[in-house]
Amino acid sequence: MHSDSVRFDFEERVLDNGLRVILHQDRSTPVVAVHLMYHVGSKNERPGRTGFAHLFEHLLFQGSGHVPKGEHFRLIQRAGGTLNGSTWFDRTNYFEVIPSNELDLALWLESDRMGFFDEAITQEKLDNQRGVVKNERRQSYENRPYGLAFETLLEHAYPEGHPYRHPTIGYMDDLDAASLEDVHAFFRSYYAPNNAVLVLAGDIDPDEALDRARAYFEEFPSRSVPAPPVVPRVGDERGERRAVLGDAVQVPRVYALFHAPSFNDADFEASDVLTGVLAEGKSSRLHRKLVYERQVAAEVQCFTWPLESVGMLIVVATARPGVAATDLEAEVLDVLGPVCDAGVSEDELTGARNRARRSLVSRLNSVGDRADAFADAVILRDDPEYVNRAFDRYEAVTADEVARVAANVLRPARRTVLHVVPRGADAEGRAA
Amino acid sequence: MTGTGEAGARGAPAGSVDRSGAPSAGPLRPLTLPELRRFEFTNGLRLIVAEDHQLPEVSLRLVLEAGATAEPRGQEGVAELTGRLLTEGAAGRSAGEVASWLDRLGAGFSVSAGYDVSILSLHTLSDVLEGALDFLAAVARHPSFEPAEVERVRGERLDEIDRDLDRPEVVADSALIRAVYGGHRYGTPAAGDRPTVERLGREQVAAFHRRRYGPSGAALVACGAVDAAALRDAVEARFGDWTGGEAFPSDGAPGAIGAPVPGSVLLVDRPSSAQAEIRLGTVGAAYADAAFFELLVGNAILGGLFNSRVNMNLREERGWTYGARTSFHFRREAGPFVGQTAVETGVAAEALSEFLRETAQLLEEAPGEDEMELARNSLVLSLPRQFETASQVSSKLVTQVVYDLPNDYWARYRARIEAVTASGVLEALRGHLDPAEMAQVVVGDAGALEGDLEGRFGDVDVRAGAGRA
Repeated sequence: MHSDSVRFDFEERVLDNGLRVILHQDRSTPVVAVHLMYHVGSKNERPGRTGFAHLFEHLLFQGSGHVPKGEHFRLIQRAGGTLNGSTWFDRTNYFEVIPSNELDLALWLESDRMGFFDEAITQEKLDNQRGVVKNERRQSYENRPYGLAFETLLEHAYPEGHPYRHPTIGYMDDLDAASLEDVHAFFRSYYAPNNAVLVLAGDIDPDEALDRARAYFEEFPSRSVPAPPVVPRVGDERGERRAVLGDAVQVPRVYALFHAPSFNDADFEASDVLTGVLAEGKSSRLHRKLVYERQVAAEVQCFTWPLESVGMLIVVATARPGVAATDLEAEVLDVLGPVCDAGVSEDELTGARNRARRSLVSRLNSVGDRADAFADAVILRDDPEYVNRAFDRYEAVTADEVARVAANVLRPARRTVLHVVPRGADAEGRAA
Repeated sequence: MTGTGEAGARGAPAGSVDRSGAPSAGPLRPLTLPELRRFEFTNGLRLIVAEDHQLPEVSLRLVLEAGATAEPRGQEGVAELTGRLLTEGAAGRSAGEVASWLDRLGAGFSVSAGYDVSILSLHTLSDVLEGALDFLAAVARHPSFEPAEVERVRGERLDEIDRDLDRPEVVADSALIRAVYGGHRYGTPAAGDRPTVERLGREQVAAFHRRRYGPSGAALVACGAVDAAALRDAVEARFGDWTGGEAFPSDGAPGAIGAPVPGSVLLVDRPSSAQAEIRLGTVGAAYADAAFFELLVGNAILGGLFNSRVNMNLREERGWTYGARTSFHFRREAGPFVGQTAVETGVAAEALSEFLRETAQLLEEAPGEDEMELARNSLVLSLPRQFETASQVSSKLVTQVVYDLPNDYWARYRARIEAVTASGVLEALRGHLDPAEMAQVVVGDAGALEGDLEGRFGDVDVRAGAGRA
């Protein structure tokens, strides 16, 4: 098979209650991915309740009307499956990947928590998982070097009250404040069939699988869901924002967040290709200049997140010892400047497109990955065909487009710069 | 799932499913293991191919007898440094030219230098496979090791070792293996540590490459959209005249695994930590251990699964942690058994004590049938999803090569696990674990931890976190 002809066939159905169902057959391995994604994330949280969407995701593993606490994990693992959930700004997902003869088990578990969750939740379960999530925050953010950088960046990049201004993990005080009332209200508001997509991918008969989905899910009535949050556009008038954060680290890191095209924007793929030219591989602009030639950075990354309503292109550079944050920032900007002014070469573009093509294939090579991609495409773009169209979109990106996106995005007025410096050092990273 | 008859009719009536209990499973569709083609070239290089034409991708892994245990004494870290330098200039091309070559191919390349072997992994689209093989042959066979590049990459590696001191989980892991293995090679991270890395130079790297990178004992594994016969020719054209390297066994001396250490708590100070990183461990087992399958099942029960005893206790009952788990690191020699968690500082002593109690309890009494079933099933019924992608299959084949597993290993895996009994698990765990001889490490704010730990465990060895500014 040539890589130009990659295509994943699927059918899309909508149940009477508004639940969208994507059916993708691949019988090469006797495995099925059951993936349920709800259109709710941290951007839907109300003030004083940051982190709630993610805490709620944890609670959904604590049992439901017919499923005792601990059983969800136990039953899936006993069937040889794997499972998890994740929460992000725009969406929350739950998935099982299991031997295909256990499709009903996963449907039973997922439907039970969609239909009968709130009768099983208790204060004790809430307190237990609040403890778990607070320790997740400690382990993955507070106790990790540079672990608070992203939340600090968001706090400066977005104005007060903006839905993308706070991190998905949330703040400790808000986690403490979450009540059982909040849990019930959140469930009623957002966990409706018409606010979700169910993807069944793998060793299925699509007609049969659809019937099973209907049998398990269709009895839950659709209901009204709160209007999506208003996401104000962050324009040039906000201007450059800057911050310094002290941390238990030995060398400084420079972060630059640029307001960029969202996942829904026609320029998203060009923006993604731009990140590839800037920092993917050792021949990329930032790596070659900062790590190899100037030896001022130990490592450098650049990426863009596929978000529904805003876009962020983020550059991260870690200093070599003795290099001050201000100097490293100047070096980074020295590389970005010419790209902003003059774009990229055909040669760079070819490499970035080839890498994007390979990474699209490798990010879709398991049924779990494909289920995730279909769910994202439905929830964030309302367009499951995007999973296939992405190949053409990346292939069609031109040097002119990348140049235009670079010129729009990589400007001072669109950036937020954060220096993470050793605690007790000054902003230049010099020890006090 | 029922057949296509009734349940296949459109519009199954709402509420028709029985929600009162877990639905029963349909008939299991067996996993078809990939068919393997094996070749051996005259220079000793083996080629193992699993064709799978679902997607236009290929996963290649070149396995070399160039692991950390093959390093000369005093040169710990040379395997890692050699791996990193392969792409910093090769076959007459400069470092920058090699980088452009790879990035233009669009392939992904990485080198992993573990304790047992070094693995060069290349992931590529099948339409550029020939070019990717050219690349692989160039960097594996003809790296230039220019002195300036060796200097630079060694400097980067030393910086990385220093930066790792900021990461409590890395500090904890290193302290634990040191406590368990002392001077044996497993007592130092596979990638080496500062005292030896700082002394490495071009000479050591080039010598390691000369001695350890060669066809003898090496295997190239290829999975995905390839034609086995065509690949055989393509590999022979690029590696058929490869010479050099020395036959296994190595000139490395991993050292002797010492007597177990009496249980003691090592507390590494990391002031103002938001949590305490906890490790406990001891010498575990080799891949070839006669009780390998019993240990797999026993570990699943103790800490290998979400529903394992330590995770259910510390996370799901007490809410003290984001997770707790255990693992046996099976290697050619007996790798460590490790228990790990990270908890809020105030409960660290109690959490460590609970972790030890759970371990001791599993050594008291054979696990019940429920737990046995969960553990066995999770191991055997998960096999299909471990053979889904080209890169998963190639990594399974690497395991087979490295540990010299029989050709029918995966075919017999299920029966081997199903033959494991509760009493067999008890006996195996008793033969390998002794809570009284577990090394214990806590990394966190010593001021807040020391009193509690002393109160519970007696003597605590407190050390300053090394290298922190």
